Amino acid sequence: MVNAFSCLVKKKVTETRPIPGEEIEKLGREIKREIDSRFGHSLAIRELDAGSDNAAEIELNNLSNAFYDVERFGITFVASPRHADVLIVTGAVTHNMEIAARKTYDAMPSPKFVVAVGDDACDGGIYKGTYAVRGGVDTVLPVDLKIPGNPPTPVQILTGLLALMQKAKNKS
Amino acid sequence: MIHGELPQENAATGALRELFGAAAVPARITYGHNRECSIDVSEPEFDLAIPYLASRKFVLISLFCVEGFRKEAQYSLLYVFERKGSILILVRNLTGNRTTSIASVFPSATWPERECRDGFGIEFDGAFDTRRLFLHETFPAGFHPLKKTVPDTPVKTSDTISTAEEYPFRKMSGEGIYQVPVGPVHAGIIEPGHFRFSVIGETVFNLEIRMFYTHRGIEKLAEGKDPRDAIKIAEAVSGDESAANATAFCMAVERLSCITVPDRAWYLRTVFCESERICSHLGDLSGMLTDVAFALGASQFAVLRELMFRENEKLSGSRFLRGMLCIGGVSRDIPDDTLAGFREFLVQFRKQYKVGLSIVLSTPSVIDRFSTTGVIKKQLLRPLNITGPAARASGGRVDVRVNHPYGIYDRFVPKPQPLKDGDVLARFTVKAAEIMDSLDLLEQLLAAIPEGSVRSEEPVQDGHALALVESARGQSLCWIRIKDKKIDRYKVRTASYCNWLAIEHAVPGNIIADFPVINKSLNLSYAGTDL
Repeated sequence: MVNAFSCLVKKKVTETRPIPGEEIEKLGREIKREIDSRFGHSLAIRELDAGSDNAAEIELNNLSNAFYDVERFGITFVASPRHADVLIVTGAVTHNMEIAARKTYDAMPSPKFVVAVGDDACDGGIYKGTYAVRGGVDTVLPVDLKIPGNPPTPVQILTGLLALMQKAKNKS
Repeated sequence: MIHGELPQENAATGALRELFGAAAVPARITYGHNRECSIDVSEPEFDLAIPYLASRKFVLISLFCVEGFRKEAQYSLLYVFERKGSILILVRNLTGNRTTSIASVFPSATWPERECRDGFGIEFDGAFDTRRLFLHETFPAGFHPLKKTVPDTPVKTSDTISTAEEYPFRKMSGEGIYQVPVGPVHAGIIEPGHFRFSVIGETVFNLEIRMFYTHRGIEKLAEGKDPRDAIKIAEAVSGDESAANATAFCMAVERLSCITVPDRAWYLRTVFCESERICSHLGDLSGMLTDVAFALGASQFAVLRELMFRENEKLSGSRFLRGMLCIGGVSRDIPDDTLAGFREFLVQFRKQYKVGLSIVLSTPSVIDRFSTTGVIKKQLLRPLNITGPAARASGGRVDVRVNHPYGIYDRFVPKPQPLKDGDVLARFTVKAAEIMDSLDLLEQLLAAIPEGSVRSEEPVQDGHALALVESARGQSLCWIRIKDKKIDRYKVRTASYCNWLAIEHAVPGNIIADFPVINKSLNLSYAGTDL
């Protein structure tokens, strides 16, 4: 049984965050500044796997672990394309995913941005010109930014997002 | 291939002796480098063998088609069976493109038969499921990409799917049953797949899955390539199994070319594969806890996983250990002080891991959600060929590292600890214990790693070979045929491909809100299934 008194005197269950790299902090501050000024303090990202080998998904998930914790910079990954500002697409777009990819994009409200993450998403990578894929994301959707890598690291993805923010500023 | 004397009496040779007579056996069998027996069978022999093998508890672990494998037939079907650590391959040479289905005897043939139909246009008479598998509706009719006459070039697909062409899911009807279609695009950052729930109230009555949305043509892509250039294709089968699938690929090529891999290279490969297993399992533990909303525990394991990814990067230059495997060994040596640093890291890691685990195991609300959720019954293991931690959590004593030791696993024997319950809690516990087991293995490996070269420069030869490895998710099978120094056929069958069908049995009877945690507890790779 929980003793109410013990809750008061017991040490709080907490621990210090793992020491993040200064690089991430600096990058985060810059991104936050851009998001605050351009996107009303919050950038909503919808992720779409259009034919990835799941490594890029793992790195995108890692952005939410305690080392990066990108939510504190104003970046959130949302469950529906209807809530999203940015569509992050991974993988060369397969024929089997092409219709779903288009539908996902169409469901997003404008203005919207598309970011291709990973070598295969950028230009089709090793799958370029084969029977099962359409090609890089830009063969199916208008791509605003490409972040290459096999897969790109969380820091590279963040750097890419900062570039997108700056691009969005110039665009408007 | 070695002809002649039986290397060792085992379940496979025993079965062949009983089926075809003692005299016929030595003359007709060829032995692979895995000590697997392979035999070409006629149709009457095949019809005789199938019920016999089923009654002798053989498991069909793979079925695939090879074009031009034998001179006398355009297509050969290779049926790979396993029983008690022995492997039996029945080669069925087809005249034409029609044959008979064995899916009603060996349910694990269902997907492979559909796959052969899509890939090569082979029709299986008597098959109960003849829907397309990896070619979805937009692909043109009569298109069979794995045929040698079909080039690997862009295909004109349709932009829309009419209602008449829509994939026919199994119909569930009855009072109060309604459908919940989910996917292919899911709410989280995960891979695409479609789940069709038939639900009564909150309880799932039936689940049907549809996969292959990320079908990238991996097998065809490898064809015609120099094996040395195709390792990146093996690594791309599934991102979080890069080292395991690359190891299987290299092993198959090394076996058919009789290349001896230096000892130090095997130590390093094993270090990579065990690190990869730890990363994968940590992701599962973290994911399962996220799915029952226990953020404190989830973040413990997510932090440890990130630390492990960073160590991977220090070891190999890649957080996913990519680019390290090569045919004949590993592409470069790792300096001893880097390995010593990794060893020190593991000491700290183990302490922190134990803290994380104790937090979880002392939280009754977590145990309550995990316990009795998503049960996979033991009797499903054999017919569906369920493998890896999922099988070990349901009482299966299966682990390639123990049953078919490869590399140096005969010297460094893992100690799988099977559980019986088959629920999410059992899978959590098995995976948690396997992390400790892998840490022990890493400790022993790093303490004993010998000096020496890390790569053999022996040339690749023509031939074919089978390789089995234990990836984080279970048995991963790879069969390669090399002709004129180029890959003629690359068949991969990952553990996920087998285990996906288990989820259709694990979910019914549970409430729909428990689906995510059941799914995560099995942690199946969509990319590794869809290829």
